[in-house]
Amino acid sequence: MRGASSNIRRAVRVACRRRGSPQVLWRYFSDSGTDAPGHEDCDVVVVGGGPAGLALASALASKRTLRGSVKVTLVEGSDLSKIYNWDLPPDAFSNRVVSLTNATLDFLDEIGAWTHVDVERTCPIEEMQVWDGISDARMDFNAAALGISRRGGSNQMARLTETLNLQRGLLRRLREQPNVTLLDNTKVMNISEDDIPGGAWPMVQLSDGVTLRARLLVGADGINSPVRSYSKIDSYGWDYPTCAIVATLLHPPRTFRPNTCAYQRFLPTGPIAFLPLSPTASSLVWSTSPALAAVLTKTDPAVLTSMINAAFRLPEVSVRYLHGHLLDVPSLSPDDLRAEISFREQAHAIAPYSALASANVHPAEAGVGIPDEGAHGLPPLVADIQPGTVASFPLRFRHAEAYIGNRTALIGDAAHVIHPLAGQGLNLGLGDAAALARCIQTAVMHGGDIGSRTALVPYTRERYFENHKMMSAVDKLHKLYASTAPPLVWARSTGVEVLNELDTLKAGIIGAAGGRSSAHSVPGSPWEMVAGGVETLVSGTRVMGAVGTGLRSVAGGILQQLGRVASGPGKDQRE
Amino acid sequence: MARMAPGESQAWSWTARGWASRSFLPQPPPPISTVNDAEVSHFSRLSALWWDERGEFALLHKMNPHRIRFIREKVLEVLQAQPDAMSAAAPASSTHIPPSLESPRVLEGMDVLDVGCGGGILSESLARLGANTLAIDASAENIGIATRHAAADPGLTCSAASASATLSFRHVTAETLVQEPKRFDIVCSMEVVEHVDNPAAFLRSCAELVKPGGHLFLSTIARTPLSYLLTIMAAEKVFRLVEPGTHTFSKFVNPEELIGFFTKPLMPGARPWISRTYAHGLPTRIEAEVRGIVYLPWRGDWVLAPRETTPWSTQANYLFWVRKPIE
Ligand SMILES: Cc1cc2nc3c(=O)[nH]c(=O)nc-3n(C[C@H](O)[C@H](O)[C@H](O)COP(=O)(O)OP(=O)(O)OC[C@H]3O[C@@H](n4cnc5c(N)ncnc54)[C@H](O)[C@@H]3O)c2cc1C
Repeated sequence: MRGASSNIRRAVRVACRRRGSPQVLWRYFSDSGTDAPGHEDCDVVVVGGGPAGLALASALASKRTLRGSVKVTLVEGSDLSKIYNWDLPPDAFSNRVVSLTNATLDFLDEIGAWTHVDVERTCPIEEMQVWDGISDARMDFNAAALGISRRGGSNQMARLTETLNLQRGLLRRLREQPNVTLLDNTKVMNISEDDIPGGAWPMVQLSDGVTLRARLLVGADGINSPVRSYSKIDSYGWDYPTCAIVATLLHPPRTFRPNTCAYQRFLPTGPIAFLPLSPTASSLVWSTSPALAAVLTKTDPAVLTSMINAAFRLPEVSVRYLHGHLLDVPSLSPDDLRAEISFREQAHAIAPYSALASANVHPAEAGVGIPDEGAHGLPPLVADIQPGTVASFPLRFRHAEAYIGNRTALIGDAAHVIHPLAGQGLNLGLGDAAALARCIQTAVMHGGDIGSRTALVPYTRERYFENHKMMSAVDKLHKLYASTAPPLVWARSTGVEVLNELDTLKAGIIGAAGGRSSAHSVPGSPWEMVAGGVETLVSGTRVMGAVGTGLRSVAGGILQQLGRVASGPGKDQRE
Repeated sequence: MARMAPGESQAWSWTARGWASRSFLPQPPPPISTVNDAEVSHFSRLSALWWDERGEFALLHKMNPHRIRFIREKVLEVLQAQPDAMSAAAPASSTHIPPSLESPRVLEGMDVLDVGCGGGILSESLARLGANTLAIDASAENIGIATRHAAADPGLTCSAASASATLSFRHVTAETLVQEPKRFDIVCSMEVVEHVDNPAAFLRSCAELVKPGGHLFLSTIARTPLSYLLTIMAAEKVFRLVEPGTHTFSKFVNPEELIGFFTKPLMPGARPWISRTYAHGLPTRIEAEVRGIVYLPWRGDWVLAPRETTPWSTQANYLFWVRKPIE
């Protein structure tokens, strides 16, 4: 029988494991007294110490009404002390970067975690420039112009943060919260139902031999969620034929504006994004074919640097050529590549002083003097890549068919995995954590059993459709922009086809999709904002003239048909 | 009349964890029987399904948080208006600070009786809010199910032997229990009054079980064309949300009938619980309150109708609260 003595033994063991780590992050199991032999009873067991799991634990512990009444245990397979002790010099950045929406920031503030995030290492996004790789039709989201601001803060639409900085902040916050027991270096080996009559509660068997019986078992355990399997909840979706390359980019400071604009160009192979982190460092997220990703992650950093600069600047036809060329000659030298790009620039009549030129320009000199007219619409020239930061990961779409099971709930990547093009994945996960914590609080106030379906249904109701809307908008945008067919390019460039998706995305960015819209931050109606976006798109098309003039004069009837054609590919692939 | 089924004492033995010890059994038949045999056997058949939140009792499970919310609100309202008025709510020793709106354990230290507890849906919630809960039912099988379910929950202490006793179940009727000396701060009887044969006698027993200054909470269904349509036509006959035969329309009770019942002295010479009503027949809020509770199919949930919508929102399901005079 596991009694008080074994709890102490366990406490000692946990403490021993921590020797050498100066922080007392780790707590002992309290002796609840009601434990049946062979297991320890917990109110909430969270599996997974990723951002979603940590945020949920912290949110639960920060609710005054739950203090003392809800015992939370978080189980994580890896060593969290590594994240707790994570430290990088101020000018070096981790390659996993997330964009946190204002709604997410409000939530982190509310639970007392944001003060533990090193804000010096984060960067506001005040503007976003997004353009079509083929037509160059451009959308410009400007936080100040849209009147988006944080409560008492700057004009920012989001804040870029290293995932590790966020996770470390959450761990620091949890250290102040005695209601949570963190068990790291501990894997969930098996989950089964208890055999107590009238029970069927989840019994969570840990790698250290301990078994936890959970009133509510939360799966924050990522894409291959063991909690989801235990709950017999199917997850549907597909793997995109693309990978995302991430890297920390180094560049000279910008002279004519702060580095607070995010750039994203939609190439048919996938979007390439430049996300600012500091005046001289930014993060790359480049979705492209796995074959190219394999070459680019292994190649000379100078080659990758040139490829990135070209990918933001050269006409699509030449970008495509360069990709093919690199696949044919993976050992291409930086000089040969530069010569190739230079040749292409001449062929496209790109002047050496133009903002579109990169082959023969030294990045440090690009920003000197009067910047070229187009410089505002492009990220700074990348000079180098922080060593050891180039990596790639597969892109997937997954949505669990339900978020709750028998005494289980799913949050974060365990519930949904999304394409990173809108930077919404982690925000959705943290939105789940916020909603589930609220739902648990309401249930406790009403004397509910927090593992019961009745208690958990409001969580699904709040999140499922909201997440689904965002996920399909992002998926549709990805598929739409993957096309090179002129009617589609035209349709997306004039905003005909992307109207609804943009609406969803904007709502997400300004925080409405985070479950709480802060009315003070939104000027006018969403419709007005979308209309503004479309205007920019149309004028962009006119200026660039990349799409045949004939197409632009098609009558409205054809327009509708185009809409149908455009939504076709997305649907087909989904089936 | 609640009769002991053969083999009852055996089935009973595993419920003996509650403070309903064998000494109360077998019980003499209650002096006035308000329990309808046909109804008892009907629910006994169904009681295995009590805790299937998506099954037969789904509507009841969904209704529970809203009933609790009403109880919370009224108890807090009274505590905050008259902190020392509650009979024995506060331990005599401490200067009682009324629990705040955010406090989960608002019923801490109170003795609460749940009459007609069924599978224990409401009783468990009352216990979680801190109440010292006794839940009774006329069906032995229901008591069995409720006890078994609560025992599986490590958060609920079912043993009255320890001082922290929070939840116990007894197979006993209100009419029998009233002969014992114990009285309660709160007596709840949810969705019961429309199932008993002699509602007046039943209500009198419930009322007598309340301590002076204590609360009586009821929930039932009004006898209106709308409630016929919703609870009998739609829920039982058309959509089969609940088992046909669950309700008998003629037994439904109207709010004004409950108000009328408590406007008259319950015993000769006693002070009536409701001293006055307004022109539209509603009592003052410090004495009694009627609140509609409406199921919205498109939301798949109930809503506790705002106060202002009474009486039109009380055409079908409603909650009733009345407070016993302190005397
Ligand atoms: C390689 C990679 C790179 C990425 N880069 C980016 C990026 O640059 N930007 C971006 O926005 N997003 C990126 N993502 C996506 C992002 O990481 C996820 O959206 C986010 O981490 C999801 O958080 P989560 O807490 O839901 O799940 P996760 O972070 O996946 O956390 C799940 C946790 O559960 C634990 N776990 C799983 N099973 C068990 C078990 N049996 N026992 C104990 N513990 C268990 C795991 O150890 C893990 O810590 C990347 C994903 C990957 C895989």
